[in-house]
Amino acid sequence: MNDQLPSDDYVAIAEELTKHFKSGPVIVKAVDGVSFRLPRGKVVALRGPSGCGKSTLLNLIGALDRPHSGQLTVDGVDVSRLSGGGEVAYRRRKVGFVFQQFNLVPQLSAIENVTLPMEFVGGSNGASKSRARELLRRVGLAQDRHERRPAKLSGGEQQRVAIARALANEPPIILADEPTANLDSKTGRLIVELLRSLRKEYRTVIIATHDADIAAEADIILEMRDGRLVGDAVA
Amino acid sequence: MKTMRRGLRTILRNPLRTGLLVAVLAVSVGLALIMITVNEAFAKRLDDIRAQVGTTITVRPAGSFGGGFLGRGGFGGDPGGENPATGEDSTAQQATLTDDALADLSSIEHIASYSRRITSQYTGDELQSTTIEPPEGAPAPNGAPAGGFQVPILVTGTEDPSSLASLGVEDAQIVEGRTFNSDEAQANVAVLGQTLAENNKLAIGDTFQLNTTTMEVVGIYSTGTQFGDNSLFLPLETARTMFDRTGEVDEVDVQADTASNVGEVADAIRAALGEDVADVTTQEFAFDAISAPLADAQSSSQVGMIAALVASAAVILFSVGLVARQRVKEIGILKAVGASNWHVTAQFGIETAVISVVAAVLGALATFPLAQTVANGLVSDSSVAAGPGGGPGGGPGDGGGPGFLRGAEVASGLLGDVKVAVSPEVFLYAIVIAAGLAIIASAIPAWYVGRVRPAEVLRHE
Repeated sequence: MNDQLPSDDYVAIAEELTKHFKSGPVIVKAVDGVSFRLPRGKVVALRGPSGCGKSTLLNLIGALDRPHSGQLTVDGVDVSRLSGGGEVAYRRRKVGFVFQQFNLVPQLSAIENVTLPMEFVGGSNGASKSRARELLRRVGLAQDRHERRPAKLSGGEQQRVAIARALANEPPIILADEPTANLDSKTGRLIVELLRSLRKEYRTVIIATHDADIAAEADIILEMRDGRLVGDAVA
Repeated sequence: MKTMRRGLRTILRNPLRTGLLVAVLAVSVGLALIMITVNEAFAKRLDDIRAQVGTTITVRPAGSFGGGFLGRGGFGGDPGGENPATGEDSTAQQATLTDDALADLSSIEHIASYSRRITSQYTGDELQSTTIEPPEGAPAPNGAPAGGFQVPILVTGTEDPSSLASLGVEDAQIVEGRTFNSDEAQANVAVLGQTLAENNKLAIGDTFQLNTTTMEVVGIYSTGTQFGDNSLFLPLETARTMFDRTGEVDEVDVQADTASNVGEVADAIRAALGEDVADVTTQEFAFDAISAPLADAQSSSQVGMIAALVASAAVILFSVGLVARQRVKEIGILKAVGASNWHVTAQFGIETAVISVVAAVLGALATFPLAQTVANGLVSDSSVAAGPGGGPGGGPGDGGGPGFLRGAEVASGLLGDVKVAVSPEVFLYAIVIAAGLAIIASAIPAWYVGRVRPAEVLRHE
């Protein structure tokens, strides 16, 4: 797909990527020789049934896990060879995560959750807070919710905070793992729309989902079965 | 700074979790603290005792007990003597050391110095003694006339005017005047106990008759006891002349040059004088007997301290580890959004360190009174056995001589001091140890959380 684009226009390039897990005596091939090229500024749906390896692939792209073999380059960084400080720097600058369970830090308020990634890169307090407020406004979280802790927010509000947090350090890729699975359909659609809007900022959004409706909203659909990509399509 | 702020914020925003954790840690730290404090108190007290032991070796005529007057049948139940209250034969003679025999001491190595003493009971009627009235309804002390017990006046001649410990009272202090000096080796001067001086209305510069000799009062001392203050000191040669005991010695205090040579010097003195001539005792021996209960208690407290430290470390380790395990997902999230191992370790380290220190302080405040109780409990049984013969309740005529009184008094003082030994300084020291223990035990879970792989915890949570 899109093989004709110059390589700089691809935000992520994977070559024969593999990730295996040992489950007792059985080797589970969660990601089994996956290759792809993802252009910038697109919404990519990673579709497939539960357990097909979607989350594992997102974790590899997000440097939360390391591949056993293959090569993965994201925004010019060879992720497959990262370790230690390189991994940390990559997570801070190149990717933003949106999880199914929202995964906000429970002790921190909405705005503190958003400033968190900025604290790790050493941003000043004032600038971080100001940007966090701007991001929260952008994702549609009402002002009076900014100082609330996650437990005092609805699921949709929490996911908006999670998206704002993912955007905090302006990464080129947003990785969203089943971002609407814990939301009602109306809120889910709003969240997908919010994610789609990031295309305008020339960010690539990879959404792992088993929901065909959400996948239909994507520019590119990658179909996964048993750790392999079985085809791709442009929506 | 931001990491520290986040750590503190996390502590304050989870009051229930923080409170429970602090409570658990405070109890375990408190227990360790008690044992550390008690152990330190015992150790300090034993060090004090060791310091008191010093390098002194006491030489007395063979077969005597208590030396001098005490050895030659002083008051009390010493089998060889008569009751002083009867006034009969109170200066009955017994084997004595002599200057000639002691000449051999000069050839013994590692002796820094020695001083000789003689002690006799005053039998004249120029000086008024103290009378102790028995409690109402109580029988008169053994052998004492009805109406009270007259405390004998002891006269000690010494060539060491710097020491007033000859009566077995360690805490004698000059309260007026001075002691006599080396120029007054044969002068008719005396240092009186306060009670004796008051009974006879004597002050510094006054004179009085002692066995037909006119003596001048140059100093007054106090020991705080009626027995100790009912005595007087003279220069050795003056006393010898007065009591017609030229060349005789009741007791010699030999100073070894170092504590490590005390045993060797004592053996050499025994060999030089002969065991049939002199009894040679070291203070170390006496203090060993006195400090044995303390040493036993310290051993117990040491075992308790080690067990308490291990138990506390385990409780802290498991408690903090359990909390870290519960928060493993949060750790994964922090790493997923860009936290380094250092960030996570530092945040959790700060949290656990603050909780541990707060717990240590609270545990300390709650358990400080208990430390003293435990110290007293550990030593209480032993203290009864510490006063051989007489014990704290012993007295004249009870069957124990003044030597027993002396041992009981010293032992009682030593054991009683344990109470004082659980001091704020010792306790602060214990707090530092307990806080250090808590921080070290907390560091392991903090180190663990720094190494959590985010994908693993987010996958399984």
